[in-house]
Amino acid sequence: MPQTPMLEMKGIVKRFPGVLAADHVDFDVLPGEVHTLLGENGAGKSTLMNILYGLQEADEGEILLNGKPAEIHNPTDAIALGIGMIHQHFMLVDTLTVAENVALGLKSGRGALTDLDAVSARIEELAERYGLEIDPQALVWQLSVGQRQRLEIIKALYRDVHLLILDEPTAVLTPQEVDQLFVTLRQMTDDGRGLIFISHKLHEVLALSDRITVLRHGAVAGNTTSEGATRESLAEMMVGRQVKLAPDKPPVEIGPAALQIRGLTVISDRGIEAVSSLDLEVRTGEIFGIAGVSGNGQRELAQAIAGLQEAVAGSIHIDGQETTNLRPAEVRSRGLSYVSEARMREGVIGEFTVSENLLLIDHASEQFVNRGLFDFKAIRSHCEVLVGEYAVKTPTLDTPARNLSGGNIQKLIVARELAGSPKVLVVAQPTRGVDIGAAEYIHARLVDQRSENAAILMISEDLDEVFALSDRIAVMYEGQIIAVVKPGETTREEIGLMMAGVRPTDSRHG
Amino acid sequence: MSDFLTQTVLIATVASAIRLAVPLLLASLGETFGQRSGVLNLGVDGIMLLGAFGGYFTVLRTGNVWLGLLVGVLVGLVLGVASAVMAVTLQAEQGISGIGIFLFGLGLSDLLFQRLVGTPLPISSFPKLAVPGLSDIPVLGEMLFRHSVIVYIAFLGVPLSMFIINRTTFGMNIRAVGENPEAADSLGVSVTAVRYATVSIGGTLAGVAGAALAIDLGIFQQNLTNAAGFIAVALVYFGAWRPLGVMAGALLYGFVNALVLQFKTLGIIPRSWSDIAAMAPAIITILALVLVASRFRQPAALTKPFTRGA
Amino acid sequence: MKRRRNSWVAMAAVMMLIVAACGGDGDATTTTASESAGGASAESFRIAIVAPSASNDLAFTQSIVDGVEAIRGERGNVQVAITDGTFNVDDAAAALRGYAEDGFDLVIAHGSQYGGSLQEIAPDFPDIAFAWGTAADTFGLSNVFAYEAASDEGGYVMGVMAAALSETDVVGVVGPIEVGDAKLYVDGFAAGVVAEEPATTVNINYTGSFSDVALASEAAQAHASASADVLTGTAQMVVGAVGVADELGMLWFGTQANQTSLAPEIVVASQVYRWEVILREILTNIDAGTLGGEAFVIDFDNGGLVIEYNDGYDLPADVRQKADDTIAGIIDGSITTG
Repeated sequence: MPQTPMLEMKGIVKRFPGVLAADHVDFDVLPGEVHTLLGENGAGKSTLMNILYGLQEADEGEILLNGKPAEIHNPTDAIALGIGMIHQHFMLVDTLTVAENVALGLKSGRGALTDLDAVSARIEELAERYGLEIDPQALVWQLSVGQRQRLEIIKALYRDVHLLILDEPTAVLTPQEVDQLFVTLRQMTDDGRGLIFISHKLHEVLALSDRITVLRHGAVAGNTTSEGATRESLAEMMVGRQVKLAPDKPPVEIGPAALQIRGLTVISDRGIEAVSSLDLEVRTGEIFGIAGVSGNGQRELAQAIAGLQEAVAGSIHIDGQETTNLRPAEVRSRGLSYVSEARMREGVIGEFTVSENLLLIDHASEQFVNRGLFDFKAIRSHCEVLVGEYAVKTPTLDTPARNLSGGNIQKLIVARELAGSPKVLVVAQPTRGVDIGAAEYIHARLVDQRSENAAILMISEDLDEVFALSDRIAVMYEGQIIAVVKPGETTREEIGLMMAGVRPTDSRHG
Repeated sequence: MSDFLTQTVLIATVASAIRLAVPLLLASLGETFGQRSGVLNLGVDGIMLLGAFGGYFTVLRTGNVWLGLLVGVLVGLVLGVASAVMAVTLQAEQGISGIGIFLFGLGLSDLLFQRLVGTPLPISSFPKLAVPGLSDIPVLGEMLFRHSVIVYIAFLGVPLSMFIINRTTFGMNIRAVGENPEAADSLGVSVTAVRYATVSIGGTLAGVAGAALAIDLGIFQQNLTNAAGFIAVALVYFGAWRPLGVMAGALLYGFVNALVLQFKTLGIIPRSWSDIAAMAPAIITILALVLVASRFRQPAALTKPFTRGA
Repeated sequence: MKRRRNSWVAMAAVMMLIVAACGGDGDATTTTASESAGGASAESFRIAIVAPSASNDLAFTQSIVDGVEAIRGERGNVQVAITDGTFNVDDAAAALRGYAEDGFDLVIAHGSQYGGSLQEIAPDFPDIAFAWGTAADTFGLSNVFAYEAASDEGGYVMGVMAAALSETDVVGVVGPIEVGDAKLYVDGFAAGVVAEEPATTVNINYTGSFSDVALASEAAQAHASASADVLTGTAQMVVGAVGVADELGMLWFGTQANQTSLAPEIVVASQVYRWEVILREILTNIDAGTLGGEAFVIDFDNGGLVIEYNDGYDLPADVRQKADDTIAGIIDGSITTG
């Protein structure tokens, strides 16, 4: 006899101006299962979950809990019905203690007074039972990212949540922390709780899910199970066509070092030493991937190479010429191209048109200037070629860049940066927040540059990306590179340990 | 200088500091609640002025100082709710709407005074209370325990505020809402309700502060507060959003004022320095408290309106 | 929704501003009183007053309002317009210019701080007579009168009485800022005390503010702790000091207006300004076609300064006699107040 679903969402419709965010979506969860919602940005996952949690109201459709219709108008309703949500960004109050964060919004056993001793005791019980070690008296700002995630789980357990929504809960975790989280989540389903897991990390989805529902453009694109799916098949459902998750990498002859960094030290904007006496070399024809949890100096490293942040010690050479602390334009003239992780702030000027953004760097080049004036015909044809070649979807060349989607803005930036055939290319988070199709495209172009003997330094928090593209992988931790390994000679788990600061044994090093 | 070291003068200076601190303390304790929940109310001075007039007028007509204080409470409550409507529901820019409330209070209190009273007439003040036992302690007793009843009420507000903020669920909600309203909302804490409550408390205490000032002075005059409400708002920042810090700030401000007055009276500060010395309280208080307050962070959501899902 | 909310905010803001503006009229109230309702206004003499504090402040502003009212009573057919509460000099300047443009016959700028503005405005209206006080300078302009009070004379008389009444031989003064009329009064008071009783200490406390009532009150407390038993003070914030004097049983001498109503038991006497004495002369000048260029002073001699005693206070006859003798001496020149 089939189980009664603990949750059924039937025919959910949500319209935003100009967009159908949810198009008659059906979704259900059985007790004790992990049902994953998978989809690209904007596919409607968050909308659906916000409706379930009372943060938004559906235009049409109904929600049944244990077979009975439920009215959910705000989070209070959802909480009362046993629904919990762990948000992509932690919903924690930094200045309160762990116990206070748990007690927030709950009735106290002592009436108007807080009853934190009782709360702490219960937290310790739950922590022991689920292996979620945490100090109830600690202030949240003192906790590590992993501990904060544990606190979010404890908040849900404390409320005895039957149905828990997890919105991209692994985004900021190391692989080890993800493994731990999954163990806890499995304990929760063993208790008969239902989990809704939202993620775009395909291997995590396959590792955790019982069932998978894929959303595309607000509608259900397909249902499957972990057993019946592969990363490729899931990606195909998300995008609607066949997708190559790892680009073909033709053999390329590795040449001399084109980017050499010796003893580089950079002080961050917050005044702390973000990069400490760092050494690295990237040779022509290779993609050198840097993995690491964000905030370990990756950003400052890239900025220093590009001349956007001061190197207080050490040297940087590009193609044999010293570029340490040169102005950004001078560094570029030595052969550097840079794709910043801060796409909207440093990558494009949102108010400028597509063609103006494409020309930001080369506007003084002879190619586009004729007797001191812009040669608009030459510019136009150059831009048309780039937009075509890099598949930037834009209504016209005169559309302001801010009106493009994230993926197309990123393609625009990549098109501009690769156009000059750089000797050294620094790319930070090349596909973060970009849809799979665009990511596939950008990856292919990076591999093309490698074939053309560029030296590519790629900084990424996405381990799939790092493994798929890199010829060598470096792990950055607290401003230093603690290991350099080849992708075929390591595992995700090993990289994960290094990302958490565990240095590899000497035998593997170097 | 030796004149200053007499016991009488020392006692008088401390007692004077305490009296000067009372309206500031009441108003800034109230403002602390609002700011801890993320709402800055710059209109405190306006509410104080209306509370002052309301309290004064009531005592003038009835002779009952407690009725006067009650009217201060009610006037403050009404204006506190009005402030909350502007800051929380209408999400008006908090600095601007606060100035609006200030101008409203400044204008209306004077208008009412001119229409209903006209020439300043004296009223009776709060009764003095010598705390049994404590007031007999030499020196200290005279400094601390022979004051108007309102002085004790104001200072009792400090531990009470600490208790509410740190030990009650309401206080925990206030701290959460001021720091991360999204998180509080996601757990079913009503950001709107909490902020309405805190801003209303702030208004009420501002009204009480004004009434206490007028009744203690026994008089009303145009702009009676002389910007004390703005000093109260500043004291909340400099007191690092903590009742004890706020009390220390109010006392320091009162003490430097009292000290300068004593020095002037005794001729220790020459008359040619008189005008410069008049600025000393503000400058010294700001310097001292900036040193302390720079170690603390303001509530993260201060002055930021909250909209669910925004 | 967003748009609607903004319009609500705008509406609320406008409401606030309207009320604040109405209240603002309370700050800077403009009132007009007309002698005859019958429409003789075409021939009536029109006087405008711009003054810093409230017109019933029992102090500086009230003195000129009372003076002009007295003139209205004498002459009849006088229209009076008042803008008071203009602590802000720019607001005062706008009001002065407005009255001049409206063609008032005499525009009074009652505050030494308005001098700079008047110096700019008066030349633009050569047909309008302006009066400025308290000050002695007409800027050499032919349409500006200056007026001031010899408040040192009254201060001196108060000082003589204070010294005679003090049992502790300490008297205290609560002042605002050491300038103008306040300085004149306080210096005269101190001179009077010393002349009567050289051993008496005069503690002078300028609080630094014309408006901080609480500080004035604490200044009086400070005087008490320095064992003063007689106080005086000048400017509108002294109402706070009078309250303390009343509470602690110290005697009070008032100035600028009769302050007996503030504390009927302890106010001994008040120096009162009778600006009508010199307003009369100014009006005579204007009637004769002279619109300015002259400076006037009210003093005991011309009757512009008067000591008003509180009937409720039982002043010993010998002290009263001393006061009368002193006034006579000032008038005949045998006593100098400096």
